[in-house]
Amino acid sequence: MKKLKFTPIFFVLMIFLAACSDDEDDIDQTNPTIDFDFESSFPKPCVVVQRGTTFNFHAKFSDNDVLGSYAIDIHNNFDHHTHDNYDVQCDLSPIKAPVNPFIYIQNFTIEGDLKEYQPTLEIVIPDAIDVGDYHFEVRLTDKTGWQTRHAIDFKIAD
Amino acid sequence: MLSFSQDCKHTFSGKVMDLHDSSILLGASVHIKEINKTVSTNPQGEFIFKNLCSGTYTVTVFHYECEPLTKQITINQEHISEVFKLEHHIEELEKVEINGNKRKVFQKKSALSTTVINKENLQQRKETSLAKSLEHVAGVSTISIGSGQAKPTIRGFGFNRVVVVQNGIKHEAQQWGADHGLEIDQNAVEHIEIYKGPLSLLVGSDAIGGVINIKEVSIPKKNSFGGNVSLIGRTNNDLVGLSTFLSGRKEHWFFKNTITANSYGDFKVPTDKILYNGYVFDLHNHQLRNTAGRVLNISGTIGYTKDDFLNRTIISNVNEENGFFANAHGLEVIKSQIDYDKSSRDIDLPKHKLNHFKITNETEIHKENYTLRINAGFQNNARQELSEPSEHGYMPKPTSSLEREFNKNTYSLNVFADLYTNSKHKLKFGVNSEFQDNSIGGWGYIIPAYHRFSAGAFVYDKIEISPKFYLHTGIRYDYGTLKTEQYQDWFLSPVNENGTIKEEYLIRATAKDFKFGDFSASFGGVYDLKNQMFKFNLGKSFRMPLANELTSDGVNYHMYRYELGNADLKAEESYQVDLEYSYTKPKFNVAVSPFVNYFPNYIYLNPTSDYYEALQIYKFQEAEVFRFGGEITSSFLLTEKLFLNTSVEYIYARQLSGAKKGFTLPFSPPLSGIIGANYTLKNYKYFKNTKFELDWRFTAKQNEIVPPESPTDGYTVGNFTMSTSLYKKDKKWADVYFRVNNILDTKYFNHTSFYRIIEVPEPGRNFSLEVRIPF
Repeated sequence: MKKLKFTPIFFVLMIFLAACSDDEDDIDQTNPTIDFDFESSFPKPCVVVQRGTTFNFHAKFSDNDVLGSYAIDIHNNFDHHTHDNYDVQCDLSPIKAPVNPFIYIQNFTIEGDLKEYQPTLEIVIPDAIDVGDYHFEVRLTDKTGWQTRHAIDFKIAD
Repeated sequence: MLSFSQDCKHTFSGKVMDLHDSSILLGASVHIKEINKTVSTNPQGEFIFKNLCSGTYTVTVFHYECEPLTKQITINQEHISEVFKLEHHIEELEKVEINGNKRKVFQKKSALSTTVINKENLQQRKETSLAKSLEHVAGVSTISIGSGQAKPTIRGFGFNRVVVVQNGIKHEAQQWGADHGLEIDQNAVEHIEIYKGPLSLLVGSDAIGGVINIKEVSIPKKNSFGGNVSLIGRTNNDLVGLSTFLSGRKEHWFFKNTITANSYGDFKVPTDKILYNGYVFDLHNHQLRNTAGRVLNISGTIGYTKDDFLNRTIISNVNEENGFFANAHGLEVIKSQIDYDKSSRDIDLPKHKLNHFKITNETEIHKENYTLRINAGFQNNARQELSEPSEHGYMPKPTSSLEREFNKNTYSLNVFADLYTNSKHKLKFGVNSEFQDNSIGGWGYIIPAYHRFSAGAFVYDKIEISPKFYLHTGIRYDYGTLKTEQYQDWFLSPVNENGTIKEEYLIRATAKDFKFGDFSASFGGVYDLKNQMFKFNLGKSFRMPLANELTSDGVNYHMYRYELGNADLKAEESYQVDLEYSYTKPKFNVAVSPFVNYFPNYIYLNPTSDYYEALQIYKFQEAEVFRFGGEITSSFLLTEKLFLNTSVEYIYARQLSGAKKGFTLPFSPPLSGIIGANYTLKNYKYFKNTKFELDWRFTAKQNEIVPPESPTDGYTVGNFTMSTSLYKKDKKWADVYFRVNNILDTKYFNHTSFYRIIEVPEPGRNFSLEVRIPF
């Protein structure tokens, strides 16, 4: 039975393969969460804000492990190019070309290895920008690099 | 000076042919046991041994598709000549797939786990792209983009970690891109060798995961002319296609020509809604909108062969255009004013267009003591990605839809020599050189223009320890340079300099020069007993970092992220141990091929927790990586007509250091296996060689993920194939292939599909019919 010589070696190898595949590493596989659904959160879907004023962004961030950074991206939706929040359908104004659209792009690091964080941020809407439909998008990462995005349709009016 | 006695000046020559039709068997080798020398046949199937002493010799002829043939030849006069006719049954090859006895000759050529696929195998399993057609091979899977395009992966590695070689020249395109597919017409492919392991030794940089070697192996018979026309239709994406093949030969000159034209509509998925990131996309008629496309491929060969000389020039042009899923290309959700549902066949934005032109020239000179092969090639890969322009961040709305354009010219020159000596060594030498010129265009930036030069030389020795045991060993050195050009934004961005805001055209990449040098090596062996074969291989491979890995500094609009290169990256290195054990009996065979793999510096695009202009930063970083896995394949011949085959593949990968320590690698294929049954019918009236094949794939859930992936559920999916040849008065009239994919119309996700990240399932049930009429 010389020919069966190699077979046991391979059985051992396969058992080794099977055994190794079970090891559970303690790694983070969970995205952080953005909560906009509470009394004092802002902006709310379809809200109208006046140009030349300020508003306060407010939400709740949480993660199973450690929060990383967040970013706010406000850009126009004059061409209806993206379609963001499906819970609420806002009435969009007719499509138009941007002349001097409002652009707000800011990044913030969440310091202190936090699991929960409630950002409050004052955002100034300049006077001379185009009114119309805008998107308010929040992006949040945890320390591992998982990202969650949440966007809200809102209008800037005179 | 050596002097020979009168007795030792004999010459033994001969020819190797197919037993059935006396056609030449190319690539055969002839071995004389007593002098321990192997030579390969020339393009006319001829071989010669000189300076033989009189006596009786044991001559064995090998061909990778035939049973070896051994004869006792008595040399007693000056010139002895002999014709060897080998049994060559293409049909039977498919039966004893992968590990059959006849494949042993091929298997012994490499200490790595290998699979060979010929034109008939490929025809039987033909899918929508070459890579998809190879997916049934254990250890091979694909990263697909819709129904028309896919790129192959070997044991979980794809992109620039797998090399595709066609006619001796490395295929060079935009392999690094997730939405790139392999630009090769499967209808023009004759022969494919898949090497599942590191093979930098023979092909240079990038051959870390494996090599897919596509070769033209046949030469038409003298004074012949023939060809076939094939028509194909598929129901899932309403594909209609036509492919023609012509070939002919006068005395020394021969030609081949393949033309393939396909047009297909949006592919259908077994769902009417796609849920992604909180959005709901309603699908019209189950169609994944805007995934239609068209293909026009032309390729041809002109060759000249006389005696021991062969020269062929192969020219091919692959031209494709296809759309990307309109609602979400990459991670970005798009709502467009385009009425995508007005037709399922139009190709709207976003889409890509590509043209891959390739010309290769191959010269082979077969002499008694050596074979010399020179491959020269030029290829141009022109790729355009078009999308609806929209403003983003500080970038105003661009005026054209040309988002990205890549134009790459690659010039290659390779020289290989095989030496046949009377010693126990069979040596192979090779020199590879390649120059690339990459230019870019469009309003989106991700990779700078660059020039790359690389050259390498190797020596490879196959040493006979005993007739049953061969060692394979070799060493190689490569040197490469990479010059990247500066890239500056075409729009202004505000920059905060000591409290004052200035508007600037940002420089995304500075001009840089990089130099790389690296050794590759391999040490392996093949131990061949009657029914068993044992292989081992220890290999070191490397990969030169890509321009984007070194210098990226910009938004990847397709993936909606900010990619940052790392100029400090060294050449990626990989060490791998491969083993293979196979046991073959006439009615049963099994092969087990495990591997263990270690990278000191795997180059990994790491999603960080930071933002740049509100986009998540992904940074190219180095990580130690450990992987193991392998495949088990087996087949059982239950009766003369029915055989079963099974295969299982598994990969485990861990990052041992770096930011994602403890995580796996991106696009990790899940545990998967196939059970198949193949039944051959008796010839009946006009039907010959009729076969039914049913195979079922079982794939486990994939929980091994890295950001931004999500776990993918397991699934089972079945395919059915029926093929037959129609005969009229003993003359073949047509070959017919009927195939059903996803028999139960199962909704499932493929973890390694490009569309997986946006929750798009795989195509639903498909019927396809191909009729091929020879003339």
